[in-house]
Amino acid sequence: MKSIADRNLIRQYLLGRLDVQGELEEQLSDSILNVEMIDVVDSVEDEIIEEYVSGSLNAEHKRAVEKYFLRPPQRQEQLRFAQLLEHYLETRASHYSATNGDNLHIPWLSQFRTYGAFVASALVIIATLVYVNNVRLGREHLAKELAKERAHSSNLAAQAESVQPSIVSLTLVADRSRSPEAPIPQIDLQSSTQRVVVEIALLHSGSRPYYVRLENKAGEATMWSANLLPIISSAGDARLVFDVPALTFQSATYSFVVSSTSATGVSTKHYDFQVKGAR
Amino acid sequence: MVLRGTSRALTAEAFGKFLRWLSEDDEKAVLEYQSIRAKLVRYFIHKACSDPDDLFDKTIDVVVGKIDTLEEYSSPLAYCFGVAKNIWRQDLRERKPASLENKVAVPTHPDPQIHEQELKCLEHCMDKLSASDRDVLVQYHQEQGHDKIELRKQLADGLGGVNALRIRMCRIRRHLRLCVAACLDQSAN
Repeated sequence: MKSIADRNLIRQYLLGRLDVQGELEEQLSDSILNVEMIDVVDSVEDEIIEEYVSGSLNAEHKRAVEKYFLRPPQRQEQLRFAQLLEHYLETRASHYSATNGDNLHIPWLSQFRTYGAFVASALVIIATLVYVNNVRLGREHLAKELAKERAHSSNLAAQAESVQPSIVSLTLVADRSRSPEAPIPQIDLQSSTQRVVVEIALLHSGSRPYYVRLENKAGEATMWSANLLPIISSAGDARLVFDVPALTFQSATYSFVVSSTSATGVSTKHYDFQVKGAR
Repeated sequence: MVLRGTSRALTAEAFGKFLRWLSEDDEKAVLEYQSIRAKLVRYFIHKACSDPDDLFDKTIDVVVGKIDTLEEYSSPLAYCFGVAKNIWRQDLRERKPASLENKVAVPTHPDPQIHEQELKCLEHCMDKLSASDRDVLVQYHQEQGHDKIELRKQLADGLGGVNALRIRMCRIRRHLRLCVAACLDQSAN
């Protein structure tokens, strides 16, 4: 199970590849403004810029970067800085290659070896005395700090319990025919869960539409259905990404049935999963 | 301090009321204003708007225009965010397809003097980084092709995984960017 911090979902959002009228887009735009998400979102932005600078983006994502992602001047400046830094480090790499201290050369050091040994011994004695004294004084202070820290931690734990994600992710990779004996994926829905974000890895890449429907295990009832286009990554992997209201589910076993039509006929795959704790 | 949003057709009285709505305390009101500004500009950047600062100003214009009716709203941020969403929708409707091919950034600043100063500032800021941050940054950018991938894998292993490395790099870059911007400001004054 993945959380809203799913980097790929954030990437799709930042590249403008989610439906702007969709609930998933709206929820993402709200939740990634949270303070705790800043580093994750910024690092995804950096990653996009880095791949753009290195030329490793596929044509589709490159177009999304140029026509959408780089519209704000702040991002254009970020791109320029990334290029400047890359260029700077390429040309000055040798300047920083000895920063670990192993190669430091200090020509005057040999003249002070004798005095150095004496001074070092004196320093060790003084430091030991200071240390013993500090340990005695510091123990009491540490005990107080520890008690304070424990109180703070238990407070944070209580806060963390009260904050539950409104989105739960479900990743489906193997369909029923590929692993009939394998345990099926499971999701736990909390009372706060509003949407289930589903990602289905497809065996064959291609931009043809897929018909997806949600059925109960017996295949007697269809609870939800949609026609969807796959997302294809730069490596050629194809996935379907969509979201379903959490209220659709009860604690039971379900299956997403994915159908597509090609020249060779209609292909249908069943992706089973189990829902627990639904309202 | 100049507060954006004050330059439009707003009365000083209405804007004063807006600040009072944020907090009775002057200092807290300004801090709250800056916090709302940072969040909303960030929202407009995430939405890839071509002028996030201007859209923030428009949002504040709308909010200040309604200030006399807002006493019942206890969360200024939530209210401003709601207005910002409407401003974004309006912007989306009016958005023209723009090609940025000609605007895509180049590393060298067009003004050679500024470029020179920028490099000096970058050097200065690199020196101010902690030794461990500088090592991570330099190693991250070292080598080419397969060697680069291997080096980054080793770095990631040492830092607790790929995502930990990405976040560390992001923080270092952000720190450097802000340091260079402050250094350039200082040298311009």
